[in-house]
Amino acid sequence: MTIHLSIVLFLPLACGLVAARLPGRAARSAVLAGPLAVLAYVIVMLVDFETGGGLQWVTNDEWISELGISYKLGVDGLNLFLIALTAIGWVACTFVAAFSVVDRPRQFFFHLALAETAVLGAFMAQDLALFIVFFDLMLVPFYFLIGGWGTGERVRATTKFVIYTLSGSLLMMAAAIALGVLATPDGGEISFALSDLANRPVAAGSQHWIVLLFALAFFVKAPLFPLHGWIPETYRSTSIPVLALLSGVLSKVGVYGFLRIVLPVMPDGAEYWQELFIILAVFSILYGSILAFSQDNVRLVLAYSSIAQLGFVVLGIFAFEEKGAQGALFQMLNHGLVTVPLFLILGVIAARARGSESLSELGGMAFRAPVLAGLFLVIALATLAMPGSSNFVGEILILFGAFENQLVYGLVAAVGVVLAAVYMIRLFQGTMHGRVGPAVESREIDRVNLAAIAPLVAVIVALGVYPHFVVDRTESDTSQAIAKTHAEVSVIK
Amino acid sequence: MSTLIAQIQAPHIDYKELSPLFALAGGSVIVLMVGLLRSRFVRTVAVPALTAVALFTAIGLTIWIWEPGNREPILEGALGVDTLSLGLSMLFYVAGLVTIVLSLRSTAAEQAGHGEYHSLLLGSIAGMVVLAGAESLMTLFIGFELLSIPLYVLCATHLHRRTSLEAGLKYLVVGSVGSATLLYGLALVYGATGALEFSEISRAIGTDAVSSSDPLLLTGIALCATGLAFKASVAPFHQWTPDVYQGAPTPITTFMAVATKAAAFAVFIRLFDHAFGLSQLDWGPALAVLAAVTIVIGNVGAIPQRSLKRMLAWSSVAQAGYMLAGVVVGTELGVRATAFYLAVYLLMNVAAFAVVIARERVSEHGDDLRSFENLFTISPWLAGAMTLAMLSLAGFPPTAGFIGKFYLIDASVGGDYTWLGIAIVIGSVISLVYYLRVIAVMFMGRYEVELPTIPPRRVRPVAGWSPEADARAQPEVLAVAVLFAALTIAVGVWPEPLFDAARDVSSALPGLH
Amino acid sequence: MSATSYGWLVLAFPVAGMLIISLGWRLLPGRLPGWIGTAAIFLAFLASIGALVDLLDHPEEERQLVDSAWTYAATADFSADLAILVDPLSVFMCLVVSGVSFLIHLYSVAYMGGDRGYARYFAYLNFFVFSMLLLVLAANFLILIIGWAFVGAASYLLISYWYQRETAVRAGIKAFVINVIGDVALVVATFLILDHVSSLDFLTVFEGADRAFGDNDGTLIAACLLLLVGAFAKSAQLPLHTWLPDAMEGPTPVSALIHAATMVTAGVYLIARMHPLFELAPTAADVGAIIGCATLLFAGTVALAVTDLKRVIAYSTISQIGYMVMGASIAAYGAGLFHLMTHAFFKALLFMAAGSVIGAMAGIQDMDRMGGFRRAMPFTFITFTVGALALAGFPLTAGFFSKDEIIAYAINRGDWYVALAMLGYVGAFLTAFYAFRMVFRVFLGEAVPEARELEQGHLAHGEPMNPMTGEPEDTDVGFPGPEHHVAERAWSMKAAMGPLALLSIVGGVVAIPGISDILEKFLEPTFEDSRFHDTAPTTGAEVWGLVAGGVISILGIGLAWWVYVREPGTATRLRERFAWLHRFLVNKWYFDELYEAMFVRPAATIGGFSRRVIETEFVQGTIVGGATGIVRVGTSVARAVQTGYLRLYALFLLLGVAALTLYFLITSS
Repeated sequence: MTIHLSIVLFLPLACGLVAARLPGRAARSAVLAGPLAVLAYVIVMLVDFETGGGLQWVTNDEWISELGISYKLGVDGLNLFLIALTAIGWVACTFVAAFSVVDRPRQFFFHLALAETAVLGAFMAQDLALFIVFFDLMLVPFYFLIGGWGTGERVRATTKFVIYTLSGSLLMMAAAIALGVLATPDGGEISFALSDLANRPVAAGSQHWIVLLFALAFFVKAPLFPLHGWIPETYRSTSIPVLALLSGVLSKVGVYGFLRIVLPVMPDGAEYWQELFIILAVFSILYGSILAFSQDNVRLVLAYSSIAQLGFVVLGIFAFEEKGAQGALFQMLNHGLVTVPLFLILGVIAARARGSESLSELGGMAFRAPVLAGLFLVIALATLAMPGSSNFVGEILILFGAFENQLVYGLVAAVGVVLAAVYMIRLFQGTMHGRVGPAVESREIDRVNLAAIAPLVAVIVALGVYPHFVVDRTESDTSQAIAKTHAEVSVIK
Repeated sequence: MSTLIAQIQAPHIDYKELSPLFALAGGSVIVLMVGLLRSRFVRTVAVPALTAVALFTAIGLTIWIWEPGNREPILEGALGVDTLSLGLSMLFYVAGLVTIVLSLRSTAAEQAGHGEYHSLLLGSIAGMVVLAGAESLMTLFIGFELLSIPLYVLCATHLHRRTSLEAGLKYLVVGSVGSATLLYGLALVYGATGALEFSEISRAIGTDAVSSSDPLLLTGIALCATGLAFKASVAPFHQWTPDVYQGAPTPITTFMAVATKAAAFAVFIRLFDHAFGLSQLDWGPALAVLAAVTIVIGNVGAIPQRSLKRMLAWSSVAQAGYMLAGVVVGTELGVRATAFYLAVYLLMNVAAFAVVIARERVSEHGDDLRSFENLFTISPWLAGAMTLAMLSLAGFPPTAGFIGKFYLIDASVGGDYTWLGIAIVIGSVISLVYYLRVIAVMFMGRYEVELPTIPPRRVRPVAGWSPEADARAQPEVLAVAVLFAALTIAVGVWPEPLFDAARDVSSALPGLH
Repeated sequence: MSATSYGWLVLAFPVAGMLIISLGWRLLPGRLPGWIGTAAIFLAFLASIGALVDLLDHPEEERQLVDSAWTYAATADFSADLAILVDPLSVFMCLVVSGVSFLIHLYSVAYMGGDRGYARYFAYLNFFVFSMLLLVLAANFLILIIGWAFVGAASYLLISYWYQRETAVRAGIKAFVINVIGDVALVVATFLILDHVSSLDFLTVFEGADRAFGDNDGTLIAACLLLLVGAFAKSAQLPLHTWLPDAMEGPTPVSALIHAATMVTAGVYLIARMHPLFELAPTAADVGAIIGCATLLFAGTVALAVTDLKRVIAYSTISQIGYMVMGASIAAYGAGLFHLMTHAFFKALLFMAAGSVIGAMAGIQDMDRMGGFRRAMPFTFITFTVGALALAGFPLTAGFFSKDEIIAYAINRGDWYVALAMLGYVGAFLTAFYAFRMVFRVFLGEAVPEARELEQGHLAHGEPMNPMTGEPEDTDVGFPGPEHHVAERAWSMKAAMGPLALLSIVGGVVAIPGISDILEKFLEPTFEDSRFHDTAPTTGAEVWGLVAGGVISILGIGLAWWVYVREPGTATRLRERFAWLHRFLVNKWYFDELYEAMFVRPAATIGGFSRRVIETEFVQGTIVGGATGIVRVGTSVARAVQTGYLRLYALFLLLGVAALTLYFLITSS
């Protein structure tokens, strides 16, 4: 029973509120204080995290006894590194935003801070209802961030984004309540605490549709084909730091839900849909990759690539196999770690091309910006899961997990690895190499972005050298998460 | 002689239990009298003040006689003074107070004469209290009319606005039809069960004399449902709502939106979950369908609205649908959820309407969406309040609206009406379209909603040379808006007290599982 | 210091070099980066020698040392350390790689002298050497794959080193993608092996292989074939060879190092390393042998027709690797690796000399525009000729011994392997011919302007044109460098080419039938478990093989002399006589066109289709549009009904009441 997590959780919000009242200069430092403090806290956690020690730093208080909702937070191998990712991502993006020109900065940073609190909450929550609260709360700040500080058809985009996502998560809410009600034994108190739900199995029949509704919410968030309709507009009209977080961090909350909630609580339901979800995942991998290399707008290349990447994650989870789940979790972290700097770099590039973001107008930037090119290169190689990067470890684990029981799907997914190479190299070359594009006035990367991106690259490289740091700490909890599901070998194998 | 008087068996009257009613009735009379004085001070200050006093007294007395648990009705079983009626009465009182505050500068009160205006208001509230406490078909109908008739008048108090008069008339006509239907229904029920008191009715139902699916009874139930559906603006009997809400003076609209609905649902709960409780299996599905239809129609109807009042009217239809779900399941949980949601509903709607009032008084576009453009830059507090209200209505955490919906869905799933829960969810998704639009207009700069615009009108700004001045001009409205918006958050974060209240309310009804 | 610690040093030095250069590039003046890089590799070479010496101290059976730094990744049955395996094979590879790399670094110091990206070049080059060494030192599949992919990346970076040349960029992505295909194949193969042997460590796997897999087990064959796919992708064997000729877009020293001497031979190393598996799955091994043989013939024919100097050498590389793959696949491991070594010497030499010529031509690579450089650049002429002799397998040169040993093994295996051997001889004849086609066309005959200019004593500085696209080169990023360098003028280039020339001649001494078998003996510990261990051909047979090979190579050279020196017009006449054949060869058997039609265009079409149809019609149209459409319809209905007329309301009212009552009556009855 500690208060630490509550502090971590609400620090950003507090700082955001303070910043909203302070005058310009001071506001900036206050704005940065929140994420930095969180990062510091998270580093401490990483240090004294007890491997295999189950839930740690648990906070468990009654919140709404009437509805059986408790304020229960906790950290274990499943969310430790996702929390770390959140912390890192927010520091980087807040930093970049704080040193760039933002109109109505106070509001902007308030929403940014609120968003961090919401995301952290979603990751830490150990109570289903609490998870949903934060899951939906995330949308509020992002609704304002996209609509208020985006470009082009921003209001259309943000409305579509919120409605699309919320239609998923509201259905999940209904399903969750049903789960809570059905799980309550006669005369027992209703409870949404995951630990209780895990011990109160629900009839397989009802698990089926409940899982389906959960999956709906998570797939929309991820997103997975065919529920990615909101992607193009949102990605086109969101400002870069926000987009980096949206794509790098938020997309993980959904798939994380599978490992945290669906598999442990409703194994039968998960097994029931396994085949379908794997097919969706594999298709998303191919579809996302193919679209990624047929896009001209650099943002959309990454947009569709993340569909493919999350396809891999889902594939790993639904392989119901230790390596797969392990890889999936690891890949969530890796994808976040590369996506955030990738988008920041896109911002840098656009700034050097009169705002143009179309590959046909870019190119040849490396010549006057070798450092930028170097950073981009490392990140690009990591993104395409170059062996030697932690992304590769994640991906190979996912693939091996898939091969175990779903060899054919695994092999199809493996094609996605090749396609990833195609679109990432295409993106890298299209911007950095080749003839100097018509719109390009190349300059070296500016200090602010360098200060934001370089550390991320360092982390990427470090994880590439010693990935076991993550694998070791997450292993026991991931295998716990999938323990209840038994993969039946696909007929095709 | 004295012996003769002694002969008369006057019903035993429990003054303590009735005290809040007395406060209201007395207040209404006094206000009417005082209103006759010509001095401006009296009319604009004393009259509202006295009204407020009356209401505060009522509140105080209610708290005094508050006592959870199932209690014997008074007046020979005609009026139930239990936590159900008292709890919901609280909502009426609060709504009344809000209305007074919001009416301070309203032209309606001016034109109608403050005395009449306020005394009618109190009268209507008294009617609601009676209605909420009705324990017999008789009192039910009396309360129903007592509540309605003053409202018909109040709707038309904007004497110089055609729409206002039209609204009054429409409300009168439709309302009377509603009452007629209700009366007919009540008659049939009486005919079927041969009882007036609810307790006897519920006792009668299910006995071999009156089977729980006796056609006469069921027809009666159907007509009662229709009559109440009118008041609660449940589809397909909702159609007066947008027109009346838009036409009526906005403070009155606010009052109708929150108080009338609460009253209607009080009866719904009492009549259906208590009196007709045993035939729930028969009327449950029907009302469930009504609820679903209402949810869909309300939300869909709200989408094409530019007039905020109209939009809120439609949204109130949808919300009625949500709450009906709580009644349908006929469980204690359902009653609690409904009661809880009624309170939440009051908070968020008052906040929203207050902002609308603040805007329509200063903007040439009235309550059109356009008058909310960039509201955040003009008056951040108003915009903030409106945002919270909208988010709460849409059911975003951490607002009260979220908890309320959660509770309702919980209730409907618990009562084996999962599909109704899903319906609520789908409704909320649709509702995002118009709630978010309002927020977008306030925060995200000028952007065209693809809807036809209403031609601008000429207004006499309250104090306005500059928009900022206008925004500051009505502190009381701003205060109401901010206060209630803050409350939606407060309840959303710490709902326990309200839950306790809801539990008390539900405790008034015996024999609910 | 133990052999393994030497092994770690071998890896450490290039990494250090790379880091110093890449992080400190702003601070390092002039040619310092070049010297740092060169020094790093030289130290790595010394470390390899140290490892060799230490290894030789161990008794034969203890010459397979594994040392692990830390757990790289371990979960469930998947567990891999960051570990190196130091055994004769890996040490041999280390020596060849670091040795040749050192000389090529030395050469580059001068050759790349005037290039804008000087530091970047050496950072890449050091990174490559590190990756290659990691590849050969890896002690388990995971690390192998990492090194495998790293060399691919390094090769990509160096191919598109002059990154503003469209052709270089395109060649780069082509090479990268084909390499990734290889990587994926390796990954899948690794899984199949892990699945059965449940270990990733080489030694454990080789131990348990015969227990886990039956003889010629289906899964194992699949695994080995996938390994071959990986090998072919790296070593540019059919049908994955198309990237190597395009890789010539890179700087010439890069072609010498990566695309001739070291990286492309990784496939051979892989097969040799995995020999316990391949011997359990002979079918797969045979496939390897056949494809190797096919490749060597195919590439040889193409090399006859192509006129781009570097591309000719590239095709000859493909063909020579064909020999090695064939050798390694028919269990002639020693011979295969022997040829790998000698080939590294003479092919690197050829490229260096070619680079010198190209320098003299100011970046032009077309042989049709060359000629008569004999007098202008004697040193280049001599070294090139030496290289060509070794390539042609001229008696007593290094190539002579190594190539013919492979063929001798093939004959010795008997039955249909003899056919392979015969085809091998045909290939040898082609090799000799095209090798000297180059010599005669570049150095003999009429001296071209550039040559004469050089004789006058100054280098040509033509306006560089891109031969592929015909557009003027963008020299921003250094292509082809403000100034050019020829061996005659740069001592470091000479210093690099001299030793290689020497080795190309005497490199054969490590394995001369009946005289010396140093290499055989040294590699013994790695291959002693081979079941073909004692099927080595007799000395007599080998000698006969040598004689035959010698005769064939002399015939080939002679024919070349007859065609290009004695009767200069012959080539043109032949070309007109067999125009169709010539077209077929010049277009490299139309492989690129085939792949274009088979993969590239379909992919583009599918992409376009999904973008235009699936995205817009289904994802946006049906799903999003459908939902919004329903709501929209509902909206308009609600609007139509909401007329504001009481009579209409009354109507709905009545309907409502009727419906409700009806329902109740129905339920009641």
